[in-house]
Parts: sequence; C-alpha cells; structure tokens
Amino acid sequence: MKQELIGKLNTYITGQILKRPDKTLNPNEPLISGGLIDSFSLVDLAMFVEQTWGAKLADTELNAQTFDTLNQLADLIESRL
Amino acid sequence: MTLTQIFIFTALGLVAGGFYKRVNRGWLLFLASVLAVFWLQPASLIRNLPFVLPAASLGLATAVWALTLPRETKISRQDWWAAGILGGLILLVSATRFIEPLSDLLAVRPPAVDFAAIFVLVLALFAGLLFWLVRGRMLALYLSIMLIVAILIVIKSPPLAQAASGALRSLSGQDPALASPLDFGWLGFSYIAFRLIHVLRDRAAGRLPAVSLRDFVTYIVFFPALTSGPIDRVERFTPQLQTDFLLDSDQLLTAGRRLITGLFMKFVLADALAFFALNAVNAWQVQSAGWMWLLLLAFSFRIFFDFAGYTHIAIGLGMLFGVVLPENFDQPYLKQNLTAFWNSWHMTLTQWVRSYYFNPVARWLRAHKIPILLVILFGQLTTMGLIGLWHGITWNFITWGFWHGAGLFIHNQWTAFSKTRPFSLSPSITVPLGIIATFAFVTIGWVWFALPQPADAARVFSVLVGMK
Repeated sequence: MKQELIGKLNTYITGQILKRPDKTLNPNEPLISGGLIDSFSLVDLAMFVEQTWGAKLADTELNAQTFDTLNQLADLIESRL
Repeated sequence: MTLTQIFIFTALGLVAGGFYKRVNRGWLLFLASVLAVFWLQPASLIRNLPFVLPAASLGLATAVWALTLPRETKISRQDWWAAGILGGLILLVSATRFIEPLSDLLAVRPPAVDFAAIFVLVLALFAGLLFWLVRGRMLALYLSIMLIVAILIVIKSPPLAQAASGALRSLSGQDPALASPLDFGWLGFSYIAFRLIHVLRDRAAGRLPAVSLRDFVTYIVFFPALTSGPIDRVERFTPQLQTDFLLDSDQLLTAGRRLITGLFMKFVLADALAFFALNAVNAWQVQSAGWMWLLLLAFSFRIFFDFAGYTHIAIGLGMLFGVVLPENFDQPYLKQNLTAFWNSWHMTLTQWVRSYYFNPVARWLRAHKIPILLVILFGQLTTMGLIGLWHGITWNFITWGFWHGAGLFIHNQWTAFSKTRPFSLSPSITVPLGIIATFAFVTIGWVWFALPQPADAARVFSVLVGMK
C-alpha cells in the first residue's frame, strides 16, 4: 500500500510540479526544506492528495515539520485512510 | 527587554533550575509570566494604561481559553485555582501601590485597588459568559477573531491609535488634545494576537487539544517570547510544561551559549550599528552615494542582529526553564534566493501567515479554477502586504511588503522558466551571485522599512543612485 502511495505521489510531483517526468525521487529526499516544492505547489499537492485518496491535509500541516519526504507524506496519508 | 530584566530572568532560571523536584515548574512559569506582563509593559501618559493593557492581555487569554475549551471538557480544580491566582495577582499588582519597593513592578504608580477589583470582576464575568453561553460556537469564535484583528488595526494605525488615545484620555479625565499614537503601546500584542487567532481558528477547525487555563495563559504571555516572539503553536508549547525537567550542565551550556550570542548580537553589534544605521534624520544629512549605501548596509545588519539577537535571548531563557521555543532565523542573509530568505527570516511569522492566510486563500482560488499565474501574483502580493501591515498600517510597510511580494513573484516565474531551460553555469558562480542578489534586494527594501515618510525614502533612493 505504502509503495503504491509513494509511486503515485512520485509520478504527480515529478510530472506536474518538477516538470521532469523521467525523474524518480528518493523517498527520503527533503522536498519542502530542500526547495523542490514551493508553497503554491504544496497547496496543489494537498488538493491532489485529497482528490486521490480523500485524505485531508489541513492548511496548518503544509510545512516541512509535518512532512518533508515522500516516505513521511505516504505515512501521513496512510494514517488517515 | 532591558539588560536588567534579562539578567533577573536568567537568575530566576538558574535558581529555580535546581529545585524543580520541590517547585512546580508549570506554576512557577505561570506566576512569572503573569507578573512579567505588567513588569515589561512600558510607561504611558494615559492614567492607569500600563496596568489596564497587561490586565487586558490576561483577560483576553482567559476569555479565549473559556471560549475554546472543548464542550466535553469540564473545568478542573486546577483551572479554578489558576483563575483565582490570576485574579489575585492582578489585584496584588494594584496593591503594590502601598508597598514602596514593590510598586516599581509597574512603570507607573499602580491604580487604586477598587479600580483593579472592578476590572477583574468585569474580565471574570466576560470569560464566564463566553464559557456558559457561547463556548465553541462558530459565530463566537469568528467574532472573537474579528475583534482581535480590530484591536490590532487600531494599535497599528497611527490615526486610529491617536483617536483611541484621545478617547481613553477623556475617560480618565485627561486632556484629549494631547493624545498621541505613541501613548498606546500595548506590549507584545502583535504576538499575543497571532497566538490567540491561531487557537481560535484551530478550535473552529476542530483541531485544538484541551489545555488547562494555567498552561494556556503561560503559552499566550510566556515572558521570554512576549516582546519579540517567536510565535509558537499551543500543541507544541504546552506539553513541554508537563514533562519532568531539571536543569543539567548540558542544557545550561546550550542556554548560556544562546544567551551570550543574543546579548552580543543585540547589545553590542545592533546597538553599535544603530549609531550610523539609516534613519529619518541622517537620510537628509548624507550627500554621497557611498555613504548612503554604508548607512543602508548598517541598517540591514542592525535589524538582523537586533531581531535575531532577541530571538537567541528568548530561546536561551526558555531553555533555562525547560521550554524549547521554535527557531525564528536560519542565516537569512546567506540564502541564494528570496523564497529561501523568507523561509529563514522571522520563520514563525511567515509560517503563521502561510497557515492562516496564504494556504486557505490559495486552496480556495485553485479550487475555483483561477489561472495559476493570477493565484501566484495575488497570493505573493497579498501575503507579503499582510506581513508588511503586521509591522504597522502605514504606507512604508505596505510598500515594503509589496516590494517583497513582487520579488517573490519574479523569483517564482524565474524558477518555472529555468526548469524548462536549465542553465549550465557552475555553482561556484551561481551560488555567490544568488546570495549577493538576494541580499541586495532585501537591503534595498529596508529603505521603506526604515523611513516612515515617502519624501525621506525618495531622497535616499536618489542619493543611492547618484542623482543628488
């Protein structure tokens, strides 16, 4: 389940946000603190997560302290399914 | 905070640090924070205001606690104790007018005890009514947010602050013609307001944990973070008051390092730079571009050392009492772009504005299929405009906010452009170039921050570019 989540998140982030669909992200790579995802893309990512899995990410959770990597985001989504 | 106040807080932390097996840390921090609100409040020419404003901060904290307490949570014995002690301490502050050495707690002569008693009664009645009649009601939560924002607007807007000062002068039998916006200095209210709004908004969203009155009041007016932040979150702050803590040598060393760094930054570097940092007077005295750039650079470093220094002091003091406050600065002047700068300058403020303004607004606009370019432009300009307004409702802070909003928009578009056309320049060129460009952009922006009058800023810019 988690690998599937990471796979879908990776496809969305590399294709829609980074515009590099050929790239594969390391599941432990810092996305927010590493500057890969900016605040606008973060809002889009939260909406994608909500539409795809129905897991709500609150406005106060869109920061590197709540999740910063694909692994952490997948854990967060899994805990809300 | 003055040096004396910092030394007294440090001494209290050192003495209490070894006795937490006998002294309850939660109660100690509650007592110290409540008294410190009065002690740190500066003097005012309006009668009783240096007493009324701190008491109102405590009253607002209590009212918001009563309004946001979950419906299923009952008021505990500890909460009643905290309410009683809070009322008692406010009365005690007014009673110090009869005890000569203690009357120095307030910057002015404390008010009459009957005045304080009426004040405490009104606050208690207000909090009680909120608790029994409208606790947790959405309308009450949002009206409270609006009330806090309205108070912020009055304090931050010079004409409104002047009008409020005039009204208060009339109420206290003083001459309203002498009213000044400077009369209305409500210590720490910018930070108190943002903590209260965070709590009210999270309660409306159903995300607020139950917190005792004692810990809630301590969170709102925690003395190390009262004057200059940082803005912590209640669910991060209050659990730290529940854990066992005894000051050991490692913590002492870390806290000491933070305190010494902060004191050096604030009272040596920032205060020395203040002698020739750009201000409304020297903006008209300097004639050459080189000297004007020097004044501006001095301001740029002064504001950083002053604010980052205060943050070190707040974090160091917090550590002495077993509370780890969030970081507020992360080498902002060494960042390679403006987005990274704003992720490392006054971090708790930007995080707050993102959580409670930018994210909900951007989400709403995206959900309504507004074109992304418009969302980015609107989001950046209004977010930074809001951060500007938080510093003061004057043209210069709004211009400063828009300057940064425009800079962030340009950086965002540049990043999007360079994703599709990667450059092959070496990092040994792009990294220093990015740092210098970001620092120059931020430093030029400080002209508006430093000078309230448009004519002053226009004069400085014309000298900076060699046109005068």
